[in-house]
Amino acid sequence: MSFLAPIFLAGAAAAAIPIVLHLLKREPEQRVRFAAVKLLKKAPVEHTQRRHLRELILLALRVAALVLLALAFARPFFASGAASASTGVTVVALDTSYSMSAPGRFERARQLAKDAIARAPAGDLVGVVTFDDEAQIVMKPGTDRVLAASAIDEAAARFGATRYRAALSAASQQFAGRRGTIVVVTDLQENGWDAGDRVSVPEGAAIEVVDVGALPPNLAVTDVRPLSDRIVASVHNGGARARDARLRLTIDGRPSGDARVSLGANQSGEATFAGAPRGGVAAVAVDDPDGIAADNVRYALIGGGSRPAVLVVTGSGDPARDAFYVQHALAAGAPGTAAFQVVNVSGAQLSSWTDDRIQPHAAAFLLSTRGLERRGREVLSGYVRGGGGLLVAAGPEVDGDIVADVLGAGSTLRVAAPAAKPAPRTLAPADVRHPVFRAFAGSGATLGLVKFQNASKIAGSGCQTLARFTTGDTAFLECSAGDGRALVLASDLDNKWSDFPLHATFVPFLHEIVRYLASARAHAWDYLVADAPAGVKKMPGVATIADAAPRGAPRRIVVNVDPRESDAGRLSVEDFRSAVTRLKDEPGAEGRIEARQQEDRQHLWQYAMAMMVVLLAAEGLLAARTA
Amino acid sequence: MAPWAAHDRPFLDPAVVARLGTLELKARTIVEGFLSGLHRSPFKGFSVEFAEYRQYIPGDDLSTIDWKVYARSDRYYIKKFEEETNLDCHLLLDVSGSMGYGAHHGMTKFEYGAVLAASLAYLMNRQRDAVGLTAFDENIVSMLPASARPGHLTALLVALDRLQTARATNVSKPLHQLANTLTKRGIVVLISDLLDDPDEVIRGLKHFQFRGIDVIVFHVLDHDEIEFPFERATRFEDLETNEEIMAVPGAVRDHYLREIGALIERYRRDLGGHGIDYQLLDTNRPLELALLSYLSTRSRAL
Repeated sequence: MSFLAPIFLAGAAAAAIPIVLHLLKREPEQRVRFAAVKLLKKAPVEHTQRRHLRELILLALRVAALVLLALAFARPFFASGAASASTGVTVVALDTSYSMSAPGRFERARQLAKDAIARAPAGDLVGVVTFDDEAQIVMKPGTDRVLAASAIDEAAARFGATRYRAALSAASQQFAGRRGTIVVVTDLQENGWDAGDRVSVPEGAAIEVVDVGALPPNLAVTDVRPLSDRIVASVHNGGARARDARLRLTIDGRPSGDARVSLGANQSGEATFAGAPRGGVAAVAVDDPDGIAADNVRYALIGGGSRPAVLVVTGSGDPARDAFYVQHALAAGAPGTAAFQVVNVSGAQLSSWTDDRIQPHAAAFLLSTRGLERRGREVLSGYVRGGGGLLVAAGPEVDGDIVADVLGAGSTLRVAAPAAKPAPRTLAPADVRHPVFRAFAGSGATLGLVKFQNASKIAGSGCQTLARFTTGDTAFLECSAGDGRALVLASDLDNKWSDFPLHATFVPFLHEIVRYLASARAHAWDYLVADAPAGVKKMPGVATIADAAPRGAPRRIVVNVDPRESDAGRLSVEDFRSAVTRLKDEPGAEGRIEARQQEDRQHLWQYAMAMMVVLLAAEGLLAARTA
Repeated sequence: MAPWAAHDRPFLDPAVVARLGTLELKARTIVEGFLSGLHRSPFKGFSVEFAEYRQYIPGDDLSTIDWKVYARSDRYYIKKFEEETNLDCHLLLDVSGSMGYGAHHGMTKFEYGAVLAASLAYLMNRQRDAVGLTAFDENIVSMLPASARPGHLTALLVALDRLQTARATNVSKPLHQLANTLTKRGIVVLISDLLDDPDEVIRGLKHFQFRGIDVIVFHVLDHDEIEFPFERATRFEDLETNEEIMAVPGAVRDHYLREIGALIERYRRDLGGHGIDYQLLDTNRPLELALLSYLSTRSRAL
């Protein structure tokens, strides 16, 4: 038997306490040499031998209880030789993202994974992890390789996107201090690593990448946008050859139109279906029998999210004066329709608003805190903390204290006035995979054309930095506040401190911001598979969920695959490995981890405690009888 | 039986007696003090013969002054009388282990019994009765035949002094043995704690009666044995068998007192019913009470 915390065994010395008390502290027994003992014999007295026995049993019970207590604290376990820390381990991480669902592709991945199991050194434990957005441990490290192969056979491609971080983290946990190999069976998609993503694995874990191969020629529907009079679908050709894409629209399952789009190699295009109805679920599918099946169809809710309202808080409430560029950018859309409905309000007017009035807005832009009194702040704060999204453009009319007040207690956001001497700077996204930069995927450098003459200093512990200025200062932050989120830009949006509104990136940037902010609202209707609400199957399609709002009725949502997974960009094995760092194991850590796991499995301390309780109960009963 | 308060006590406290030197001194102190206290006792003037004259000293009974001698010599002389007796007194002293209890009170039952025996012997010798001593436990340990010779008292006291408590009790067996050896009528004085089978003890004592011998039984018990004053849980070890019993006195007191009370009552009733004097002696109580009891029985025997 081994112990996780043998130091507590010293507590067993406490077992000497009752013995010492018994021997030293007890009152010396009175002994009387008596003549008429024969008269006492008939009395109901306790004979010496029986009392001695009872006292010894009591003493033994007390000592045993204390020993068991010390034993329980020492966390005993039976060390298992089979799972010794000296045993190696091979963990196969099998990519089950939807990019693996092309015909024959996942079968090949399965075979490669099983080959990796077969190649594992004799005596090594083998484990299996599958991963897409999340990792699943389908078999913990064990000796049964047939079982591991069977687990691989049962795996199937799902609808998530590749996330190497999840895979390696889960695989690392299976090492438990042992040495071995993580075999990643994947198609090495570039999007599997987030920008700046790094993952740590144990020092004793070698990384082996098994490449399933490049994506086959693939067509993917990447976006479906129901507009007032038509439905626009975006389609991407991920192949090296130009292709004609044939798209079909169905509304609530009824065919409603066809369209053809000619696409060059690795090129995107749009197809328009005229005459969209007022409601229903639009599904746009592309014929691509040889490509990835999961991205061949995309869903959108017609009318469900059309023209969301965006509240713009300015100093005067006059958009032409304070929010000219923002209003036009939000209203921009296809000819004849506006992407968003803009609701302008001054800070002073917001004081007269009620919570019910502000709640329907998909997002709120705070461009000025001038005139924003206590009541107005409370309305805005309630909106954000209740799940709303807020963009703060920390320009010359924004007071940092008021912003902190709006975000409520617990906010760590600090907005300070800019330095006295303006310095020109540009903006660089820190995480191009963040949804607000989705429109600039592959062309994030275009944001670098924006010149910022001046900027506030923004900071907040716990807030995520989305972009930085070339000066190193934080340019764009995301902070959470209650159930909602706030994005804070360190400059204005009105062509005062920057020329951002004059750039082509301004409109899509604001649109993506609104979409992102609105997605936090309970009334969001477009989900990616990874973000599907609880209770909704993680697969593309239409689902009905109960609204969390008190008076909310069941509502329909659509779930789509992450379009980035259709990107054919690939990593090299070296690029893959460069994102992995190895943590130096502490001396003896592997043994300790193994011991802890064995102890966790056996829970012997619980038995010791239970036995101690039983002994104490017996002691109590016996002591009561003796007394 | 409540212990006597010292200021009420006309007799010597056994604890005081215990501190006196030799057994002879103890016996003399008790008997002389006892006899001097009998001036107004019903035993005044019992059967005596003239022995000698002695010059009067203040305090002597005026009725004993021989006025004829005064007339002849003009001096006061009192007549000294010699008792007229033909009694054989046999002192039976129990020296079994159980008699060794009570040292913490000043005198064990054995010591109390020994002093009592010495006192009786002194008294008997003073009255010219022949006195013998038999010590026994489960057998007769030592035996000194009855005699009234002047040096016999010393021999008896020496024999008493040498006695020690030892073994287990069997009261009846020595009683029968002694009864078979006695031929002359007299008095048998049994000094014992009688912690034996009452039936056997009574049967042995009746054996003496059968042979025409008067019996006085001094049932010597320690105060602890009568009152059972223990409080704390106590391990009681038998003085004779060494058997141990752990008992909480509070729990067993009533039972014990019933048992010891029943034993005493049994002896008192059965012995009294057979004309045997029974006197329960608490070792806390003065020995003179025992002497009174003896003299009462002796007067009946004459």
